[in-house]
Amino acid sequence: MKVGKIVKVSGPLVVAEGMDEANMYDVVEVSDFKLVGEIIEMRGDRASIQVYEETTGIGPGDPVYTTGEPLSVELGPGLIEAMFDGIQRPLEEFRKKSGDFMTRGTKVENLDRIKKWDFKPTVKVGDKVIGGDIIGTVQETPIVVHKVMVPIGLSGEITDIKSGEFTIVEDIATIDNETKVQMMQKWPVRKSRPYKQKLDPSVPLLTGQRVIDTFFPVAKGGTAAIPGPFGSGKTVVQHQLAKWADTEIVVYVGCGERGNEMTDVLMEFPEIIDPATGESLMKRTVLIANTSNMPVAAREASIYTGITIAEYFRDMGYSVAIMADSTSRWAEALREMSGRLEEMPGDEGYPAYLGSRAAAFYERSGKVICNGSDDREGAITVIGAVSPPGGDISEPVSQATLRIVKVFWGLDHTLSYKRHFPAINWLNSYTLYQAKMDIWMAANIDPEFAKNRAKAMNLLQEESALQEIVRLVGRDSLSYEDQLKLEATKSIREDYLQQNAFHDVDTFCSLEKQNKMLKLVLDFYDLGMKALEKGVYLKSIENMPIRERIARSKYIEEEKMGEIDIIIQDLESEINKLIEEGGILDA
Amino acid sequence: MFKVAVIGDKDSVLTFKALGIDVFIVSEADEARRTVDTIARDQYGVIFITEQIAKLIPDTIIRYDKEIIPAVILIPSNQGSLNIGMDKINKNVEKAIGSNIL
Repeated sequence: MKVGKIVKVSGPLVVAEGMDEANMYDVVEVSDFKLVGEIIEMRGDRASIQVYEETTGIGPGDPVYTTGEPLSVELGPGLIEAMFDGIQRPLEEFRKKSGDFMTRGTKVENLDRIKKWDFKPTVKVGDKVIGGDIIGTVQETPIVVHKVMVPIGLSGEITDIKSGEFTIVEDIATIDNETKVQMMQKWPVRKSRPYKQKLDPSVPLLTGQRVIDTFFPVAKGGTAAIPGPFGSGKTVVQHQLAKWADTEIVVYVGCGERGNEMTDVLMEFPEIIDPATGESLMKRTVLIANTSNMPVAAREASIYTGITIAEYFRDMGYSVAIMADSTSRWAEALREMSGRLEEMPGDEGYPAYLGSRAAAFYERSGKVICNGSDDREGAITVIGAVSPPGGDISEPVSQATLRIVKVFWGLDHTLSYKRHFPAINWLNSYTLYQAKMDIWMAANIDPEFAKNRAKAMNLLQEESALQEIVRLVGRDSLSYEDQLKLEATKSIREDYLQQNAFHDVDTFCSLEKQNKMLKLVLDFYDLGMKALEKGVYLKSIENMPIRERIARSKYIEEEKMGEIDIIIQDLESEINKLIEEGGILDA
Repeated sequence: MFKVAVIGDKDSVLTFKALGIDVFIVSEADEARRTVDTIARDQYGVIFITEQIAKLIPDTIIRYDKEIIPAVILIPSNQGSLNIGMDKINKNVEKAIGSNIL
């Protein structure tokens, strides 16, 4: 192919002439350092290339070689437990080659070509297959069965299938006597992988976080955004979701955030045992890191790399969750490139197409019927953090995100300052999946659950109105009923919503336990009200010793959940005792 | 029609009977609290209570501060005044008009 010539270098953007044989989104190698770049604009034979590595020392006249291929990820066994950079280069291999910091132009294979995997075929010679059909499995980690699929677009009759140990590039099957199939396939990152049909999300993604599961659930196949000011706990919430969400695969994209956050993942995840499988969480996790000290252009690609890998696992019929932390950095990378391309800026310098790019990314989520003849279902749930400067969500990235996502977990600085974790503000967060999730909860957990949830939410809303009065005239001016309401909502906030991510038991709370706990805190309100009506003094309700046990109910282990029922019974008998002692029973 | 009640020890309140007011004789805190709470719900508009008894049940007295009905009014007993009742009136006047004019 023709070799182009650089005419301009502007940070990560390189403009080269003589590129008339190249296509949009082709991967090119820039200069003799062979830096990886991607064509993002073509005008005549001038191509604008975004370079995924440092461009220091590159100048006009340097050559540009086209590879003729779009930016692609390699999909096959070896993805799980690995940590990749924004364009899917494995960081561990990188370190072996170039030391602790990345040397530009280093060539590494995206997936391990040497390791042999035990391939077990699931089809036999003579079977007819179409694109997306599973032809065999590889036990990639103890909990993930990697299903090897016929690449999209291929179909025909299996004329040869092997069994045994193979590397990902060895032929394992032949279709129609001509096309050889390997375990590894490639897919361009900017194109979403096809599926048969999109389904309506109806099952909640259970995260073990009370405020999320109870009040603002996200559906499997849904989209959620976590905007919040700096230090409000976006990353911790994302980590909690990555740890405890009940999905089969987690793709965690660290996009433009600090490196130590990825280190935390690397340090913590292998040690945490998933209660559902009994294996370490790392055995289901794919990490993609483009931290803030890594080249900015690759940040733009990292999001696409992540979602393409997620789509690949979805196509196997898995439920996948992808966490992007943070999409604001991704948008800033877009802005940087847009600025250097001398495009007309939109709001705050972000490109005018920010909204459509963000939408295109979130659109790749969803619950679908996968390609292939067995109609298996897979789902991708996308959870994106947004870091609005100063916590002001009227800025373009938050707004563009909020137009698309259906769940909004608004983190609140005042809550995090009060050490209320997760600092999700219950007054301005919302979920649009509520009605569907209520149906699921009623069928699977408790018919009362939705009612209790609505009641607790009502109380919290009334509390905020009462708090305003309290700020003006003081708490004592409220009626006893309202004072009890404040006590009850304090209990909802502190005993229910607040959750300690670093406590062994409290870090994860199953839905059954949530249901019981919610009943408990609401019972306190109902029974308290009843006692108040019977003439019991507010003070004696407030000072009931059982409240200590209510507060500690979150630390009851999952296996001993029945203890919460006992607390509910004890609460009732204590209240009845109060009424007998101090109430006017005949009133 | 609202009724009027007097609560206190026997020596202090018995004479109120002559006026046709309902008299409740109590001696202990618990008994007093129960009596106040019960009659407060029973069409009593004004409850007079001796300071000696009121002193034992401050929570109950505060409880009816905010309510229009019944008016709980502290009176001295036959052993003299403890000044709780007068203090309360002074405080209320101060709250209402800003300075103590009494």
